[in-house]
Amino acid sequence: MLGAATKRKAAGENQGTMSDSPAVSATSTGPMTAAGRPAKTIEARGVNLFYGDFHAVEDVTMTVEPNKVTALIGSSGCGKTTFLRSLNRMHELTPGARVSGEITLDGEEIYGAGVDPVVVRQLIGMVFQQPNPFPTMSIYDNVSAGLNLNARKVPKTQKDAVVERSLRGAHLWDEVKDRLDKPGGSLSGGQQQRLCIARAIAVEPEVLLMDEPCSALDPVATLAIEDLIGELKSRYTIVIVTHNMQQAARASDVTAFFNIEASGQPGHLIEVGPTEDIFTKPGQQATEDYVSGRFG
Amino acid sequence: MPEVARAEYLEELANLEASALGGLDLVSAALTRTLEAVEFQDVELAQLVVADDDRIDGRYLEVHQALITLLATQSPVATDLRLISALLHVLKNVERMGDQCVNICKLIPISGNEPPADEEMVGLILSMGRHTKALIAQAKRAFEERDVEMAQDLVRQDDAVDNLNRDCFRLALELGDDADKREWAMTMLLAARAIERTADNAVDIGEQVAFVVTGLFREFEDASHPEA
Repeated sequence: MLGAATKRKAAGENQGTMSDSPAVSATSTGPMTAAGRPAKTIEARGVNLFYGDFHAVEDVTMTVEPNKVTALIGSSGCGKTTFLRSLNRMHELTPGARVSGEITLDGEEIYGAGVDPVVVRQLIGMVFQQPNPFPTMSIYDNVSAGLNLNARKVPKTQKDAVVERSLRGAHLWDEVKDRLDKPGGSLSGGQQQRLCIARAIAVEPEVLLMDEPCSALDPVATLAIEDLIGELKSRYTIVIVTHNMQQAARASDVTAFFNIEASGQPGHLIEVGPTEDIFTKPGQQATEDYVSGRFG
Repeated sequence: MPEVARAEYLEELANLEASALGGLDLVSAALTRTLEAVEFQDVELAQLVVADDDRIDGRYLEVHQALITLLATQSPVATDLRLISALLHVLKNVERMGDQCVNICKLIPISGNEPPADEEMVGLILSMGRHTKALIAQAKRAFEERDVEMAQDLVRQDDAVDNLNRDCFRLALELGDDADKREWAMTMLLAARAIERTADNAVDIGEQVAFVVTGLFREFEDASHPEA
């Protein structure tokens, strides 16, 4: 599917609206029900990540299960954010960055020959630590930005529908429906982050990657985002990097712990398992020490 | 940065464990006096045990509150969380054991002055009490040393207490027709039962040792499904 979508794009085919794009139409099989939709599985096998000569992450093999929230935890420099960024080929945007091993989305290599990284990023969206709406662009244009980038022309009525659906999906609609023309920068931090989530889901991704999405937010906005994450998992596969272990415990179904032996060494995946087990009876002493705050 | 992260919290947790397990020493002391009161029909000593139970209850309340505070303020997880959960159970068992001593001591005035005590039955009850004190000491040590094998061995010791309890029952049936003696025996059966329950509480503490170490809870002995 990734290859097919890329070939069409390379051939200059009009991808039309997002719902017309082959990548997305393939994912939208069947009506979306309140119970959600089946999302996709990411498999990482023997993944090594480098920045030039620096070996940042060594030999990570794990499965990111669909319709679940997977939290990546570990101290700074352990490679969890690097690994997250490798899942939608953002890692390679850093000069000198390299990847080896295999990462698949429902069996399809995302680093395969002929796969367009732009298509990968469309299927696997990212929400960042700092809310980064386009500050002067209107709320409406912020949400529809992805559509404008991916399609030549989307009819206004269709765009309206996508904007409303995405803002509702991000729990922001009621707060902004009367001021969609106001700049994105006029919103509060928590609202801006939900706007970014609305922007990410507007292009109907399969997977949402979130890099510390709440670290710049107050506790109320944080809990609102966590509730939202809990709802979004019925439709998407979600991976979240967090330094807040209570957030991992509250918001995730599966937790993966990354660690480094010493500064300058590559990060390793130490243990991945049900969040409940990681926080009550972890299998590895290093995990135990980290979640109990006994590191350092 | 201190050498060990969260040193104060870890020290507090260790102190609370020592306090909770120290409750078992209080119970053991109460049981010693209780047995003495039974042996010598000492009503005054029995009253002292009843009054002194406030210390055991106080230990329960104090450590319980401190553990709740740790839960609220320190977000303990993994082994720390299992330890706190286990200590809450231990405290409850300590409190129950203290109450069983009180129950026995409240029976002593009821059995009357100069009761027609049967030496053999008193002997059985004292023996149950000694076994139970050994169980309490072993439960404490197993917890302190996180020794699951030692904790599981409590079941074997508890069987001895259960057997003595059954012997008490049989003896009570054979004590003859004397109404006063039968009444005394009935009262002593209640005492034996209270000691038997106290030994069960010690086994329950052993189960918590296994939970702290393995993260899995299972009853060493399932009274509802004895065959399983």
